[in-house]
Amino acid sequence: MAEQKSTPDPAAAFRELVSQWEKGFNEFASRTMNSEEFSRAMNKATTASTVMQQQLGELIGRYLMTLNLPSRSEMMNIGERLQAIETNLHRLSTQLEKVGGGSPNSPAAGPPRTKRPPSAEQKGDAA
Amino acid sequence: MTAASATATKATAAADPMAGRIQATIERAIQRNIKGLEYIGSSAPVMGTTAKDLIHSRGTLNLYHYRPLADEIYRVPLLLVMATTNKGYIFDLAPGQSLVEYLLKRGYDVYVMDWNPPRADEKHLSLESYVLDFIPDCVGRVQAESGEEDVTIVGYCMGGVLSVMYAALHAEGPIKNLACFTTPIDYEHMTMFQRWSDRRYFEVDRLVDTLGNIPSELIFTSFEMLRPATRIAGQVQLWENIWNDDYVKSYRMFDRWSTDTLPLAGEYFRQTTKELMWENSLFKGKLTLNGKRVDLGNIKVPVFHALAQHDHIVPYDAGKPLIASVGAEDKKEIVLKGGHVSVVAGPNAVKRLWPALDQWLGERSV
Repeated sequence: MAEQKSTPDPAAAFRELVSQWEKGFNEFASRTMNSEEFSRAMNKATTASTVMQQQLGELIGRYLMTLNLPSRSEMMNIGERLQAIETNLHRLSTQLEKVGGGSPNSPAAGPPRTKRPPSAEQKGDAA
Repeated sequence: MTAASATATKATAAADPMAGRIQATIERAIQRNIKGLEYIGSSAPVMGTTAKDLIHSRGTLNLYHYRPLADEIYRVPLLLVMATTNKGYIFDLAPGQSLVEYLLKRGYDVYVMDWNPPRADEKHLSLESYVLDFIPDCVGRVQAESGEEDVTIVGYCMGGVLSVMYAALHAEGPIKNLACFTTPIDYEHMTMFQRWSDRRYFEVDRLVDTLGNIPSELIFTSFEMLRPATRIAGQVQLWENIWNDDYVKSYRMFDRWSTDTLPLAGEYFRQTTKELMWENSLFKGKLTLNGKRVDLGNIKVPVFHALAQHDHIVPYDAGKPLIASVGAEDKKEIVLKGGHVSVVAGPNAVKRLWPALDQWLGERSV
């Protein structure tokens, strides 16, 4: 047993190394990111990328319009409308099923709602 | 590793420990290569398989009713409110690792409020939409479906925040109990998010006005930035354990869920940034929704709050004030080992949170 313990395990050493690296890097990153400079730079970059993305989208949209093709946002709008129609269909069919089987607001049949917590059952048994 | 090769390795290890270790390392390396190829070719794990019915859907909102798995159930139904940033299948990862399945087997009637990505035309959804429309709507449907007046609400993270606001604004009922997991109240202690959303630099109005809804990539990146090395380390650990089917299955489930981030409705994001991050108005008791002040002291029903010891998203100090602020006499806080997600789902949750929740809920669900 003692001999086994003394045998080096490269896999365990590797795991430890990865774990230490993860901890150390996360701590370093947290320190770096928890600064005013980082916040300012990150938000500048986010705003710039958002504006650029929007402008690019508008440009591509105009280009697609000249080709008489729908843009991504127009396709997404159609998709969303379809989803809304599907949702309404689902709602209607659920209502119809319920009307067929009784009132839409009637409780669904299921197991009896009589369960008691184990502590109450134990107390009952003791009594 | 086959049983025969494992036995052979053990025999070698007994004879010569160093040789045994080398043999085991080589066998693992072979297994890694075989399983690694299988991993690349295999499809994503299927999650959320517990039988359920979609009983209501409206835009971003889905309400599911899970089919009972017990012959006798508690009187009071449970409504689980998922965080708005992620999908609700974290409550139902896989058989044996599903909170929903566990609750069903323990005799609860379970409903889950889950979210679709908000559509472009839902960018106007606000905190009021979630707290004063979606939750009451679902509570009403749970009451109608179950035939019970009382409903217990269980909220996770931001779902907990919305549930707390709902409970504070509906002190007259019909909420019977309120259970929250890792729910932030004092946003001063969300240190990194505070720094990143510094009002001097974070142009939330410009972002929302430009984008409409906040893309899921932005939400995902902000969570990832909290621990930037963890994903890489996770992938290294995956390679190290790729011979272990259980490890790989668990890794893939959590990885898929954590990357399956949802976009956020623009107005909702603007409000959470300004009201919660900047003003900390929920904690200060200054938050108003539709002109009504959200006073946590109004919550008189029993409250349970589970927090995680190593939560990098909601630190303990951010969640701690919930129990101190509510007006309930029957209240309980537990701090469990684990992180923001592992406290709710996975092998540790099965042993720690779920039995504690069951014990607390059972006594209050009759």
